[in-house]
Amino acid sequence: MRQHRLVRTMALLIAGVLVLAGLAGCATDGSGADPAPAASVVETGTLSFVADGEEHAREGTTSKEGWEITFEHAYVTLTGITAYQTDPPYDVDADAWDIDPLHSVTLPDEFTVDLAAPASDPASVGEVGDAVAGHYNALAWDLVRASSGPAEGLSMLFVGTAERDGERVDFTLRFDREVTYLGGEYIGDVRKGILEAGSEAEMEMTFHFDHFFGRDDKDADDPMNIDALGFDPLAALATDGVLDVSMSDLEELLPAEEYAKLEAILVHFGHVGEGHCIARPLD
Amino acid sequence: MNRVRPLIVSVAMAALALALPAPAAMAHGVDLTAGTVEGVEVTAVFDGGGGPMAGAQVTVFAPDDPARPWMTGTTDEEGRFFFVPDAALPGTWDVQVRQAGHGGIVRVEVTAEGAEVAADAAGLPVTQKALMALAVAWGALGTALYFRRRAA
Repeated sequence: MRQHRLVRTMALLIAGVLVLAGLAGCATDGSGADPAPAASVVETGTLSFVADGEEHAREGTTSKEGWEITFEHAYVTLTGITAYQTDPPYDVDADAWDIDPLHSVTLPDEFTVDLAAPASDPASVGEVGDAVAGHYNALAWDLVRASSGPAEGLSMLFVGTAERDGERVDFTLRFDREVTYLGGEYIGDVRKGILEAGSEAEMEMTFHFDHFFGRDDKDADDPMNIDALGFDPLAALATDGVLDVSMSDLEELLPAEEYAKLEAILVHFGHVGEGHCIARPLD
Repeated sequence: MNRVRPLIVSVAMAALALALPAPAAMAHGVDLTAGTVEGVEVTAVFDGGGGPMAGAQVTVFAPDDPARPWMTGTTDEEGRFFFVPDAALPGTWDVQVRQAGHGGIVRVEVTAEGAEVAADAAGLPVTQKALMALAVAWGALGTALYFRRRAA
């Protein structure tokens, strides 16, 4: 019995020591709770996306053969628009589709934008308001057939007029090629994609119409004009000054060499400012 | 599709030297000092043997303010552009070169020990990267010497 009391006394003493130790421990921070880990604050800003056909689409362009081309509409339909922060910066010239971003921002939905309007600015596509701050130095998007709207069923629809020496062609060019693009950092007059917390930054998908029609301010043997389709092959297909053709029409009507140029141009139409993208058909 | 791609980049030990005799007339005397500096030389060429990108626009961005140009200029007839990065601003210096709707960007890492071209030279085709790598090794040595001299 005495032994039992001794054991009980010892147990109470041990328990008391543990309680006192616990109280002492609690007293060290005075809170009674484990210190909460510092909450990581993610700084964000607004990342907007625009599509630009440059002055060639907005104000008009002169083809390599001297056709003065103006656009009433230049619709492109875009989806899967995703901006990336990469470190080291994504290297477009590695021709690699794999990308391992620190952060990415995707603009949901499909957008049909008119690169010919407004005349003064790139076409607004959309924005994401809670993009993680940092340098967005890569951009991907898909050019797809529109599911609805003015260019339904088409990835690109160009409507306009070409004039030269009193001759006029009213054209409607209907393209259904679907292409995916991936580019690096925007190259241009200003630096884009650097998003500071609480601020705004812009990403731009750029479409080079001079690759399509060439430029009269460059020599005929300039690589751009050699590769460009120009407008002469299209004008030759017009009837009574009107040309309304689809991609399949052009495959049938254009000389094989010119059609091959057109296919290459349509795939490499997308840029990031003056920086090129890698591209591949989705079809 | 013939792409136009710029930039063979070298971090080159380039020298600028003036060695003009002082004029004899003292009414409006001038004091000329000769010296050499070493820095970064960017050489921009069109892909596919298209020749130098003469007169191309160059914009240099320093690491402390990458959104705004630190320096702008144009390439010479040989497509070259030379600048001396501020050694007090270590980090990644970005150099953008563009002309006639085409361009690229290269990155130069500047440290207290010197500078070297980053592996990701956007705008460079793979074939040109091999050339660039050789230039980097030589140029990095030159630039390192430059910074050591400044520190002395």
